[in-house]
Amino acid sequence: MNNLSSHGNKILNDFNPFKNFKLENYKYAQLHKDHTSENFSDSSYDYNELLKISHNLQKTDFEETDLSSKVDKWNFNSIDSYFRVSSLSNRSSLTLNLDNFSQEVLLVDVNHFSENISFTKNSSKNQTLILITSNISNPKPRSIFFDLAENSNLEILQLALSNNKSFIYFEINQSDFSKMNFITFQSNNNHIRNEYYASLGEKCELNLLGLNFKNNFINDNFSYIQHSKPSTASNEIFKSIVDNGAITNFQGKIYVDPIAQKTDGYQMSRSLLLDSKSKANNKPELEIYADDVKCSHGSTVAKLSQNQIYYFKTRGIDEQTAKNILQKAFLVEIIESLQNKEIKDFSKKLLDNLI
Amino acid sequence: MLNIKDLKASIEDKQIIKGLDLSINKGEVHALMGPNGSGKSTLSYVLSGKEGYEIDSGSVDFKGKNLLELDVDERSNEGLFLAFQYPMEIPGVQTSFFLKTAINAKRKYQGLEEIDALEFAKLVKSKAEELSISPDMLKRDLNVNYSGGEKKKQEILQMSLLNPEMAILDETDSGLDIDALKIVSEGVNKLRNENNSFLVITHYQRLLNYIKPDFVHIIADGKIVKSGNFSLALELEEKGYEEISKTA
Ligand SMILES: Nc1ncnc2c1ncn2[C@@H]1O[C@H](COP(=O)(O)OP(=O)(O)OP(=O)(O)O)[C@@H](O)[C@H]1O
Ligand SMILES: [Mg+2]
Repeated sequence: MNNLSSHGNKILNDFNPFKNFKLENYKYAQLHKDHTSENFSDSSYDYNELLKISHNLQKTDFEETDLSSKVDKWNFNSIDSYFRVSSLSNRSSLTLNLDNFSQEVLLVDVNHFSENISFTKNSSKNQTLILITSNISNPKPRSIFFDLAENSNLEILQLALSNNKSFIYFEINQSDFSKMNFITFQSNNNHIRNEYYASLGEKCELNLLGLNFKNNFINDNFSYIQHSKPSTASNEIFKSIVDNGAITNFQGKIYVDPIAQKTDGYQMSRSLLLDSKSKANNKPELEIYADDVKCSHGSTVAKLSQNQIYYFKTRGIDEQTAKNILQKAFLVEIIESLQNKEIKDFSKKLLDNLI
Repeated sequence: MLNIKDLKASIEDKQIIKGLDLSINKGEVHALMGPNGSGKSTLSYVLSGKEGYEIDSGSVDFKGKNLLELDVDERSNEGLFLAFQYPMEIPGVQTSFFLKTAINAKRKYQGLEEIDALEFAKLVKSKAEELSISPDMLKRDLNVNYSGGEKKKQEILQMSLLNPEMAILDETDSGLDIDALKIVSEGVNKLRNENNSFLVITHYQRLLNYIKPDFVHIIADGKIVKSGNFSLALELEEKGYEEISKTA
């Protein structure tokens, strides 16, 4: 860490959310609290079924790369991410070009890697990458980068299940005319935070969608979407179900550059609280420097509808079954946006099993 | 079948049902008519067991059981059905999935196995056809963006699948066009037999031309103020509530 630039050192020393809990971008994450839980259930899912429909990428498929110079290349109009700087300076990195694989569905189990990972994609071929970030207990942040070349497109499904502590920085760099569909599925986690920093080139589209339920302590999603060029569209929806005194956080900013006219930005976070002990913090923000844009954001916090439960019961369906169905109904919208049919079906089954 | 005695019920400390008596036997169809706000829907909610209603006094006997002691889903599984005046929209829940879940809930209650997928598909298809509900409709989320009439038909579809012993239809006719009214009435008439009963809540005699009631009751301010046969409905159409109530 001695050879870090002054910028790097400043972030590591002055913006460390594990020590300083007053940092704006880490407002609700409570990373200074070392909350460990033994009693959260290990959510079982059929890994083998997933392997049947995907190609499992091995460590040997990756190449070593040096991303440490990235520490000083912070391309966002925001305070630098501690997760990014600390992972770039503490971990070595690997890279993989997704175009080298003809399979439509690829899978990476991040737990097999101690490195940061960088993915690149140049083609417009439909491809879905399943990122398993499950059963992670190491609280040291890690980074995962995506570089989409012009006209390329990629779909990501992140499965974040049964983590004691998982702190991940995602960076999505989209060159002109590229499309990204990113879905994050989070359940049975104790203390997790995902950061998403995305930069959109001309006419790019980004879907960033998340669902989370059965959190144990804190589930935190932070996004910073930077519309850097004209005619870009971002669509962000996060849905949470919280119970047992857990906390779900969504903090997201849409930044629109002065030249990014015709930006279409949408951001929504919806939470269902199943009891009065649980909590949802929402902090949507817009920072817009162009005048011809369409941006909207919102958030809702609600309980399950007693009237809907009543309707189910008048049809003979017991209360617990009704509640389960309504919870799935609330979350399924996120899964519906997966493009790959097999992955969508798998995710629906996973939701069925975990609720 | 259903025996309501001196029922008084309140919501938010306001008594709406104020000493209502009504006895419905097996095989009978009763019509319940009355002005807006007289307590018709409230009665149907109280009978279904909806939360928030306080029973101040009286009793309701359903097939020899104390209906008021049963939970909402038990009442349904015991054979009570309520077709809502304003059916609920359930986003995210496919109609056919909902129907299957309801059928299986009842089968479970009766100690039967879950319905076989093929059998279910056939059953729903034939019942939906009878009500001229298109198969596409069943793939959509329950009642979401259904037209007013389509929602009412959906209620009747649920009724015919659950085959209740006692069905309460709360203004099922309002919002239906003339053809739909006929179709829905035929659906009800088809279910009708000597072992089940209906309480048909309506404002219009027109429905009763299709579903011929054995008895007609007029409710005003939470009480039955007049009972008679079909001719009472005709008289009502002619004179209106005000005058009928005077002669009560
Ligand atoms: N939650 C409530 N709090 C207070 N008053 C209520 C509540 N719900 C219903 N009421 C009142 O109870 C009365 C009876 O309503 P109800 O819906 O049973 O009438 P109805 O006979 O079905 O009328 P309509 O023919 O218009 O459907 C009305 O005056 C209504 O305003
Ligand atoms: Mg009513």
